[in-house]
Amino acid sequence: MKRFIALLSGLLMLAAAVPALAKVNVFACESEWAALATEIGGNRVEVFSATTGLQDVHRIQARPSLIARARSAELLICSGADLEAGWLPLILQQAGNTRIRPGQPGHLEAADFARMLEVPTIVDRSMGDVHPRGNPHLHWDPNNIQAVGTVLAERLAQIDPAGGETYRSRQADFSARWSQAVSQWQQKAASLRGTNVIEHHRALTYLFAWLGMPVVGSLEPKPGVEPTSSHLTSLVQRQQATPAKLIVRTVVNNPKAAQWLSQQTKVPVVEVPYSVGSTPASKDLFAMYEDAIGRLLAAVNS
Amino acid sequence: MYKPGFTAAALLLAVGAPIDAQAQSTSELDAIRKQIDELKNNYENTIRALEQRLKDAETAAAQADAKATQAQEQAKAASDTAAADAAPAQAAASAPTSNAPASFLSTFNPGISLILQGSYRHYSEDPAERGVTGYIPTGEFDLGERGFSLDESEITVSANVDHLFYAQATFALEDGGIEVEEAFAQTPALGHGLTLKFGRFFSGIGYENQLHPHARDFLDSALPQNVLLGGNFAMDALQTSWIAPLPVLVELGGELGMPVEFPFEDTDSNKNGITGGTVFARVGGDIGLSHSYRVGGWYMRAENRIEDASILDLDERFETGTSTLSDGHTKMWGLNFVYKWAPDGNPQYRNFKFAGEWMQRQLDGDLTTDLGGAADTGSFKATQSGWYLHGVYQFLPQWRLGVRYDQLDEGSYDLASNIDGLVEPADFTPRRWAAMLDWNPSEYSRIRLQYTQDKTQDRVTDDQIFLQYIFSLGAHGAHKF
Repeated sequence: MKRFIALLSGLLMLAAAVPALAKVNVFACESEWAALATEIGGNRVEVFSATTGLQDVHRIQARPSLIARARSAELLICSGADLEAGWLPLILQQAGNTRIRPGQPGHLEAADFARMLEVPTIVDRSMGDVHPRGNPHLHWDPNNIQAVGTVLAERLAQIDPAGGETYRSRQADFSARWSQAVSQWQQKAASLRGTNVIEHHRALTYLFAWLGMPVVGSLEPKPGVEPTSSHLTSLVQRQQATPAKLIVRTVVNNPKAAQWLSQQTKVPVVEVPYSVGSTPASKDLFAMYEDAIGRLLAAVNS
Repeated sequence: MYKPGFTAAALLLAVGAPIDAQAQSTSELDAIRKQIDELKNNYENTIRALEQRLKDAETAAAQADAKATQAQEQAKAASDTAAADAAPAQAAASAPTSNAPASFLSTFNPGISLILQGSYRHYSEDPAERGVTGYIPTGEFDLGERGFSLDESEITVSANVDHLFYAQATFALEDGGIEVEEAFAQTPALGHGLTLKFGRFFSGIGYENQLHPHARDFLDSALPQNVLLGGNFAMDALQTSWIAPLPVLVELGGELGMPVEFPFEDTDSNKNGITGGTVFARVGGDIGLSHSYRVGGWYMRAENRIEDASILDLDERFETGTSTLSDGHTKMWGLNFVYKWAPDGNPQYRNFKFAGEWMQRQLDGDLTTDLGGAADTGSFKATQSGWYLHGVYQFLPQWRLGVRYDQLDEGSYDLASNIDGLVEPADFTPRRWAAMLDWNPSEYSRIRLQYTQDKTQDRVTDDQIFLQYIFSLGAHGAHKF
């Protein structure tokens, strides 16, 4: 009996101690937001990324592990604008977690706080995988990263008031470092301005808009539709009128279409990270931007 | 048009300076000025782009108004974000403005999806003459008609009812009429991993049971599902499920209520209270980046609420004869698994799915047999089981190849001596195998070719060829794992 009481009181003490040690569980849909949550939350947060930089975030299966992780999350951070429409609603429906449902402080969609590009006026499925609220790959605009970081710090402070000061100061620190990095990148990438590019998917639209690089074509005939030979042929012909200097693809796209077009047009192909972890170098948000700009510059200068 | 953004940047410069004047070091001040300048440059670019868009919009005479408004909105959004971005620079933490869409009347419309399905079916044997030897299927063993046919069209309507409930209904439209496949409400607001569901829904048991016909990997459901459960087993009931707070999925659930058309199509529910219930458990997770799995087990018990129905076809063995089962229960249990492979978790180019299920049904009760003379009643117990395995491989982005094997066992019977000999298990194992190839131009369309060799009836081999289309219109939700 004594042993039982000792065990029970030990368990109770443990249970009482757990909340003090508990970290805020963050469920990030994409690895760029996981990286941002780590920047701002530091060791007060436990971040789970539902996808890696090697995955196509449009096409993720609502796997059991994702439901299990969403079950215990206190904050969910996703790109939004329907990027995760194929899997996130199902996970939220099955997870039985009120804290991360839309409308709660624990539900953060970056698109709600970002400057959106390519917002269509007409939406029809014949146009391919278009998103009514605009291009959802918004993490390639550095200003969007800033805006989302600010909101994220506030949300974390709301969920974990004891860490409010930590989150705000970490955010201020991140923001200062980010602004400095952005100005450096802008200087470094000045020579890229005006360089015409052909994209695989419209995944880097924000990056090209920021760097002033006109996108003169996409390998996909329509967003989310795999490249077809007739469309690629039309790109070869278009090369006469509006010549592109680079063909840019991310690691999640099949390289074959880009290689074919490159052979036909003698335009080099550059592989750019899509998110944190897409390339060996892109270990965090800074490294991801650094790597992308470095690769573009290397291709233009070669 | 574009001035707001510009003014915002200018304002920041003006407003930012006095606040910054409090800053101790001048180098800090310079750094902040520099940042604001960059910000200004940044947004000048954006504004230039917006100007261009606006110009485009103005030239397009027909759409001029709509686009100009949009550009205005964007310019506003840009200046909003500019303000938000500048906030950290000023060390004044003000939350950025949300640009979530304002609520329009249309946002209150429920999500509506329509599934259109049709097929061409070739059977070497007359489908009207077909059956499964040794089995009286639950529901009907419906093979469909020869030639061109429109299969059931499915309409699903779903929306949040209010802050507490979410509701969804699926109606199947066929020539014969409308069937309510599912119509349930769910409580997303319970938290703690709990979900409560009530109304009519496909029971949470098994794997294939929860898939609507359009979401299956083959045109028809596997034999155990089709014959033992009668297609999708639905309940008019209350379901609770709970997900454990663990990094792997551990889900426990149960249902209480009334099974719909089970165990027989003309099941009579003239009874107060509960006539059936289920319990189920599932465990699932990932193995590395590329592999994921889920395994499950379940148990179900239902009362045989039936007034008068022939359960065993004695006509075939005797000139005339009927048999009716009264009282008793149907108990079922099963195990299932699904395994999926996608390189690096990327299913787009190549992926593989392997799934299988085993289930057993035990029917008991009093069997009254009548061979044209005096009726005889005795206790009856039949135990029957079946299983399937199927694999589907997506070898190219839009193409999938699948193979399935399914079979039922011959079953065993435990009969009272007075009716022994009248009912005997057939010495025959009904089995089929099928191969399919489907083409999916997008997530919303599928064209499928399937061949099935059906040996479910003694001394009959039915070669079946199907060409099927499935189109999904509107707000179609994601498919389950």
